[in-house]
Amino acid sequence: MFCYQCEQTARSADSLGCASARGNCGKDATTSDLQDLLIHEVKGLAVHARRARELGSPQREAGQFMLYALFTTLTNVNFNPARFTQLINQANQLRDTVQAACEQAGGAALEPLAGAAAFVPASDIEALLAQAPEAAITAGIEQLGEDVIGLRALVLYGLKGVAAYAHHARMLGQESDEVYAEMERLLAFLADEPSDAGQLVNEALAVGQLNLQVMALLDAGNTGRFGHPQPGQVRTTPVVGKAILVSGHDLVDLEALLEATQDQGIHVYTHGEMLPAHSYPELKKHPHLIGNYGGAWQDQQSEFAAFPGPVLMTSNCIIEPQPAYRQRIFTSGPVGWPGVRHIENHDYSTLIAAARALPGFKDEPAAQHITTGFGRDAVLGVADQVIDAVKAGAIKHFFLVGGCDGAAPGRNYYSDFVEQTPQDTVVLTLGCAKYRFNQQDHGAIGTIPRLLDMGQCNDSYSAIKVAAALAEAFDCELNELPLSMVLSWFEQKAAAVLLTLLALGVRNIRLGPTLPAFITPPVLAKLVEAFNIQPLTTPEADLAAALQGKVA
Amino acid sequence: MSKAFKVELHTRDGQQLGFDCAPDENVLAAAARQGLSLPAMCRSGSCGVCRGHCQDGAIELGPHSPEALSEADRQRGETLLCSSYPRSDLVVAVDVDLAGIQAPPPVEREATVAVVEPVGGEVVNLVLLLSPDPNGDASVSFEVGQYMELTLPDSGVTRAYSIANTPNWEGRLEFYIRLQPEGHFSHWLRQAKAGDHLKIRGPFGHFSLDESSLAPRWFVAGGTGLAPILAMLRWMGEMGAMQPTRLYLGLNRESDRFAQAELAGLQAILPGLRQVLCVWHPQGEWQGFVGNPAEALKRDLAESLAAGKSPDIYLCGPPAMVAACEAVASALGLPAAKIHSERFLPSN
Repeated sequence: MFCYQCEQTARSADSLGCASARGNCGKDATTSDLQDLLIHEVKGLAVHARRARELGSPQREAGQFMLYALFTTLTNVNFNPARFTQLINQANQLRDTVQAACEQAGGAALEPLAGAAAFVPASDIEALLAQAPEAAITAGIEQLGEDVIGLRALVLYGLKGVAAYAHHARMLGQESDEVYAEMERLLAFLADEPSDAGQLVNEALAVGQLNLQVMALLDAGNTGRFGHPQPGQVRTTPVVGKAILVSGHDLVDLEALLEATQDQGIHVYTHGEMLPAHSYPELKKHPHLIGNYGGAWQDQQSEFAAFPGPVLMTSNCIIEPQPAYRQRIFTSGPVGWPGVRHIENHDYSTLIAAARALPGFKDEPAAQHITTGFGRDAVLGVADQVIDAVKAGAIKHFFLVGGCDGAAPGRNYYSDFVEQTPQDTVVLTLGCAKYRFNQQDHGAIGTIPRLLDMGQCNDSYSAIKVAAALAEAFDCELNELPLSMVLSWFEQKAAAVLLTLLALGVRNIRLGPTLPAFITPPVLAKLVEAFNIQPLTTPEADLAAALQGKVA
Repeated sequence: MSKAFKVELHTRDGQQLGFDCAPDENVLAAAARQGLSLPAMCRSGSCGVCRGHCQDGAIELGPHSPEALSEADRQRGETLLCSSYPRSDLVVAVDVDLAGIQAPPPVEREATVAVVEPVGGEVVNLVLLLSPDPNGDASVSFEVGQYMELTLPDSGVTRAYSIANTPNWEGRLEFYIRLQPEGHFSHWLRQAKAGDHLKIRGPFGHFSLDESSLAPRWFVAGGTGLAPILAMLRWMGEMGAMQPTRLYLGLNRESDRFAQAELAGLQAILPGLRQVLCVWHPQGEWQGFVGNPAEALKRDLAESLAAGKSPDIYLCGPPAMVAACEAVASALGLPAAKIHSERFLPSN
């Protein structure tokens, strides 16, 4: 195996990337190789789908499959090798279907395709794994060098993030042929084994543009179905009674579960990135959506073990289920772990039976709350007050501090940074990194809380909309706003969001806790030159630089 | 191996556990070897999940990322358990409750007989419903392949039987028990009826599926050694497992056949399952394989290995049968890691 797609990938003086029998995320070598093969198949499928589209026969099913298949390969989503052998076969069958559609639309004169588009996976597992080197992310590195391979990885990982968001949007009934067409184009670009660094950088920015479209679709899906987020308090301490914990990101799964558990005497708790669910009117109307439990994903092993009910994992990040809760954790959607029950089609009957059988909470500590729900609608609703506060000097600066959390102690940087922000500044946050500082009282400027939780990582779209509105109000460019972005990345959705910000021309982003292993020093130099993207130093120095205008 | 050091582990909820750790073994691995699953992800010093605080003793730290553990962290006594090698006895604190690192300990529960019926071949199908545990948990949680200890209320006679069904939320446990002519438990079983009570304790045992393996799975059962294998096959059906799967069931005579409805039911949940009934001493017009399961395994495994297909094999039954199958598999070159087995003896 070789994988360097996430922030916690192995890094040593000699090499970068996980290349042993087991990656740092817990993914074994077989699963990793099968994921590479699935991605290779998906690239090939995209080539055929693109041709079908050009022939006037777009294949939406192929696009939908690409989203789902790529989503399963994100960090901490699916660890089940058996699932990948099935998906590889499914991709191959789908490619045959698309090829047949091309032949029907284009006649017999079609040129034969090569490379990933002509790849035939072996039917036997040993032979299939023997094909993995051909599909590896590092294939061709000896000839092409690390820069080109790293840039290909940047495009691919960005596309994985786009695919995850687009799949969520699709679950909400939002999909677009334009998005499928661009996904096909970019995957087909990768299938063509590109080697021009400049072209790769341009296409990475195209991934960012595509992600903006997709985040808009997801935003429309969320707000269209659940209403605009409303600021409010969320209970973070348990209530006596039977309990189900829902983790991941999929609000459609949560909605279906809330409906299935209506009037059943079972409380539903959110975990990690499901926290923003409490701000959506159509979700919070359910009184049994009782509160938020635990923190960010990396603490799940101790938190799930202590939770007295079943756990539903709807998307990333799952890590190895401990024996203490292995029998009572369930997966859904793209998620998987060998030997863990998987729920299809929102059939929660077993999950509910588990909740009834398991003890639930028997004690009720004094209630504690946190505040969430500052989506763009809520923030722009008080835009006049915000603008007045800026003009009056009551708000001197805005920070966007957000993204993914992780286990590495270097991530304390973000809590230290937020703690040190001056009282006349406002911190916007999103993603699960906020669990490092969202339990503290940061005060308010007038009626505006100093910490505004905008939601999940995909709610970067809200942040972009707010920044654009502020720029318009102050009649300036985005980069001229008193706004500094301090981002924390872990997996590939964060890569997609970063590419979106770069595609919008946002400069001076601080990125950490470490820079992606696939970004080589020469590529980083180009990004610094074009966007002044910077690594973290210390909270004190970065804060001082931001407030002195060296950044933002 | 050099002398092991003592590790005293302090959990967040104030519990203390002790285990041995050799100087060349990391604390995380030593804990796992002794049944403690501490939080961990990369196991190579990179992710920072397996953090602990060394309150006493000396640790040599192996390779690790400064991102996961900085020098300042080290100075404060923080450590990464996957990279910690003891150089003295240790006291280590972890930020997790005891329940989070220990598999649920075996507990004793009351059980009520729901079904007790003969299913052929002097075998009885016993189905029990458990009352909730002291914590109010009504479910029954175990790994397929494990067993329970059943204790009779009056005599106190205790016997261990493998569970034949899968973990469930109703507290339902199913067993296949061969009646022994002089057996104490068999004597009780012959008279047992729905509504009778007994005590049950467990789960126990380490006979379990390698769930992440994509290799074909071949199961070999002798008599009621079928029970844990039935649990594994049923679990595979629930999981939608796709591995090519075979079941070799060894019986002395055709008349020993039992649980035929359950075996037929397996085909519905695992359509690709190939069942081979091995009758050692057929007495009638037997058309199937004649011989013991080790002989059938030898024939088929040699053929499979020659074709480049190396299955995982799971063996459960009388010690002689298990030993014969292990010898066959080893002689044919199947790696030991692919051979999983459980032996049982009839008791009276």
